[in-house]
Amino acid sequence: MKKTKRSLAGIAMLGVSALLLSGCSAGAGEADSNTLKLWHFESDTSAMGIAWEEAIKVFEEETGATVEFEEKSFEQIRSTASQVLNSNEAPDILEYNKGNATAGLLASQGLLSDLDDDYAEYGWDDALAPSLQTTARYDEDGIMGSGAFYGVPNYGEFVEMYYNKDMFAAAGLEVPTTVAELETVMKAFTDQGITPLAESAAEYPLGQLWYQLALTKADRSFVDDYQLYTGDVDWSGPEVTYATETIKDWTDAGYISTDASGFKAEDAGTAFINGTYPIFYSGSWWHNRFTTEATGFEWGTFLFPEAEMSPGSAGNMWVIPEKAKNKDLAAQFIDITMRPEIQALIGNNGGIPVAADTSDITDAKSQELIGNFNTLTERDGIAFYPDWPTATFYDELNAGLQELINGSKSPAEINEQLGGQYTSGVDDIVG
Amino acid sequence: MTSTILDPAPATVTGPPARQSRKRRSSTTRKTLGDWMILLVAVLIGLLIAVPFFLILINSFKSPADYNQAGPLTLPTSLYFDGMINFWERVNFPGKLWNSFFISSVVAILAVVISLLNAFALGIGRVRGRTWIVLLILLANMLPQEVLLYPLYFMFKTVGLYDNQWAVIIIFVVIQSAFGTYLLASVLGTFPKEILEAASLDGASRWTILYRVVYPITKPTLSVLVIFFFIWTWNEFLIPLTFLVSNASQTVPVSIAVLQGDRLMDVTTTSASALLGLLPTLIFFLIFQRTLTRGITAGAVK
Repeated sequence: MKKTKRSLAGIAMLGVSALLLSGCSAGAGEADSNTLKLWHFESDTSAMGIAWEEAIKVFEEETGATVEFEEKSFEQIRSTASQVLNSNEAPDILEYNKGNATAGLLASQGLLSDLDDDYAEYGWDDALAPSLQTTARYDEDGIMGSGAFYGVPNYGEFVEMYYNKDMFAAAGLEVPTTVAELETVMKAFTDQGITPLAESAAEYPLGQLWYQLALTKADRSFVDDYQLYTGDVDWSGPEVTYATETIKDWTDAGYISTDASGFKAEDAGTAFINGTYPIFYSGSWWHNRFTTEATGFEWGTFLFPEAEMSPGSAGNMWVIPEKAKNKDLAAQFIDITMRPEIQALIGNNGGIPVAADTSDITDAKSQELIGNFNTLTERDGIAFYPDWPTATFYDELNAGLQELINGSKSPAEINEQLGGQYTSGVDDIVG
Repeated sequence: MTSTILDPAPATVTGPPARQSRKRRSSTTRKTLGDWMILLVAVLIGLLIAVPFFLILINSFKSPADYNQAGPLTLPTSLYFDGMINFWERVNFPGKLWNSFFISSVVAILAVVISLLNAFALGIGRVRGRTWIVLLILLANMLPQEVLLYPLYFMFKTVGLYDNQWAVIIIFVVIQSAFGTYLLASVLGTFPKEILEAASLDGASRWTILYRVVYPITKPTLSVLVIFFFIWTWNEFLIPLTFLVSNASQTVPVSIAVLQGDRLMDVTTTSASALLGLLPTLIFFLIFQRTLTRGITAGAVK
């Protein structure tokens, strides 16, 4: 009993001392007219983190204002933005997710500032390719693609092929330029007992490959119908049929392991890094990680063969809350991040700038990456992601593709199932 | 009365463990095969529960390269502390530690005080319709926090406590004391009348009875509650995430979320941060572990 008493007293003491000391942790500083309260969720070693740190320095020198920066977690901004932006704690500028369910929703609720005037004043629309502007504009229902500008993307992302040069060389194979050649390459690896494609059906990679395959047969109007609801998508049409059947064929041929149905993106990525698979079809967000961690072999990248378009989009973007206290300063800051020297910093640290001169990029690997991206944007080939149209389609697509590679459903059944899920989801949004 | 249905239950819950432990103690000299089997099953279950912890432990000290080569299940080839150091510096860990500690300890103390006061009224005071009152209070515990989030957000924004640690403290004092009230009201419902009558015959007021009679006898139960409330509040994520906007006021679990990116995850640093977040509760538990094992049974009437 005595022990209990002592420990209880101990806890009580700690509690009391906590109460006394709390005085110093309370009390928030009031924003004055010369402070820019800025939030983003990039780590300070990432491409955007490095470039934006420099932008903050330039901004403070040129305007004489101070930046009050806080690094937030992606999760916190994602799940609490609508509450924070509706309160007096709202920052002057923050990095926010693009998309109908995120920036679109906040824009339609009136929580984000309309940036049309700033776009006109600073000429940001000249710097951004049309397909990159799609995710920056939202109509009154919060659907992207038309309406006013609500954000400014600083960087882009897209999906491409990563390949293990050493394994290609050992097998005497060249980078494929057509789908037929790609299949020959994969066949050669399968014959040696190597599964060629690192895949994951539990998360986004296989869904993106499926969408890429559909894109090889598609044109821009298919993408607009699929992503922007401008028309009906034919779920038994040539694009979707080809995609689903090809995934099935590749699984049957052993190019995709049936084990992939349980793999996460992280599993597929680390399996590529440790040399288990020679090819990984995934996003530019892996590029930096492969550069620092895939050091055991030479690797390279190429765009998916015979495809005018690939999955990709502008990255997350700067938005200015409607309740921001210093909107002009925020717009000035955004303009600094769009300058060539800041954009070049993004490019030289493994990111994909949206408005950089390729000549400013010095790192060879980054040049290749940014070259691929620029090729895509120049031919209007940014096609967004398969799961964007509805809030639930990500899980539905993954579940469907898992059933496909497990062999529990035929391609036709999968197309019908996905079509039904897609259509009912879109009907809920468009009404 | 509905209360009679609820009353016998706590007696049967608190009674048997005391008797059982006494029986077990008498047979320590000769263990039967059955005892060994039970021990074996207990050890197996214990190992199963410890698996995630071991995974965190081995991945915390693994370099990313090591992780990529060998996966999450192998032992690290060499000890690697960078993940932990990076995380520590990136989020200013000592500050978060202090915030978590401050919020959790204030909540634990206040919630236990309120639980005891409520339970004294409901368990000993025999308020009319107390089953329904307890049920009403328990709603705070039974509703998913997602449901509470928006009403709480608007309430605290109106009174100017949004982005303030006291918002989180008030919310968790209510939530934790709901459970505490339920538990203590059941325990105090079986409190022997003779003691209470003897006390009031001696001229003790209600306050004196609470302070001199009920409090000393229930103290072991109260200290268990303090520990539970501390650990539960420490591990809370959603409400602190919503209400603690500025980095300076955030708690440990909220700061761990910084490592989770849009698409990529950093397994080794995340493990290291999980280990750092878990250690304080583990240490806290080990310090007060003796109080815990004495537990609720000691609080029952002898």
